[in-house]
Amino acid sequence: MTDRPDAVFDLGLQAERTALAWQRTALAMAIGALVAGRLAVPVFGAGSLVVAVLGVVGAVVVLVVSRRRYRAVHESLSARGDLVAVRSAGAPIATLAGVGLLVALLALAFVLLR
Amino acid sequence: MDEGVEDVPDEAPTDRRFPRRVYRAGREPDPRFSLANERTFLAWIRTSLALVAAGVALEALDLPIADGLRLAGALVFIVLGLLAPAQAWLGWAATERALRQGRPLPSPRLGLLLAVGTTVAGLLVLVGLLLR
Repeated sequence: MTDRPDAVFDLGLQAERTALAWQRTALAMAIGALVAGRLAVPVFGAGSLVVAVLGVVGAVVVLVVSRRRYRAVHESLSARGDLVAVRSAGAPIATLAGVGLLVALLALAFVLLR
Repeated sequence: MDEGVEDVPDEAPTDRRFPRRVYRAGREPDPRFSLANERTFLAWIRTSLALVAAGVALEALDLPIADGLRLAGALVFIVLGLLAPAQAWLGWAATERALRQGRPLPSPRLGLLLAVGTTVAGLLVLVGLLLR
């Protein structure tokens, strides 16, 4: 069992680096949501904490989805050498862009309404 | 290119990946490029979060900055934070399409606007600090 792999299927550790990029995005979301919730309490009351909780839950969802995505990418790369087997290719990307828009709109509302 | 025949992508008839406008075009690129494109998308999302955070912080923290300029700076930051996810998504889709079709990559469409806007917001904050 001293064989080495036949070929490097993930040159430059692209799958890992992409998974790490998803993880630091999730981390930024979680921290942003907690700080935003804390800052909004004096302005909008304790209800702001709901936003913080939703943000943290969203960040956990991003982590879980990115974990599954990493597996799918890894399997597709090792089995086929491309990403065709990653079925939900653009869906998490579109969803996260939508969340980004929503966060910015909430921030706009916060600044204008406070 | 080759023999003037249109490139018929191998996966086209069965490729149901979203968005189809992207995945029905061209042929499967080197996966490293697709993954790099995905990381660029994520970097834009984090940029958006940072811009929004800057705008909110200006208003939420009690900073010694002239009121009108501070609000203007905050609004510029947040509007940029609103544009960044649009750039993230449109840029990702346009780049993925270009990669699949073997065309040159598109430039970041909103790049100049974001650079100018960030400069303006920074100047507003600077002047606001000095006028206070």
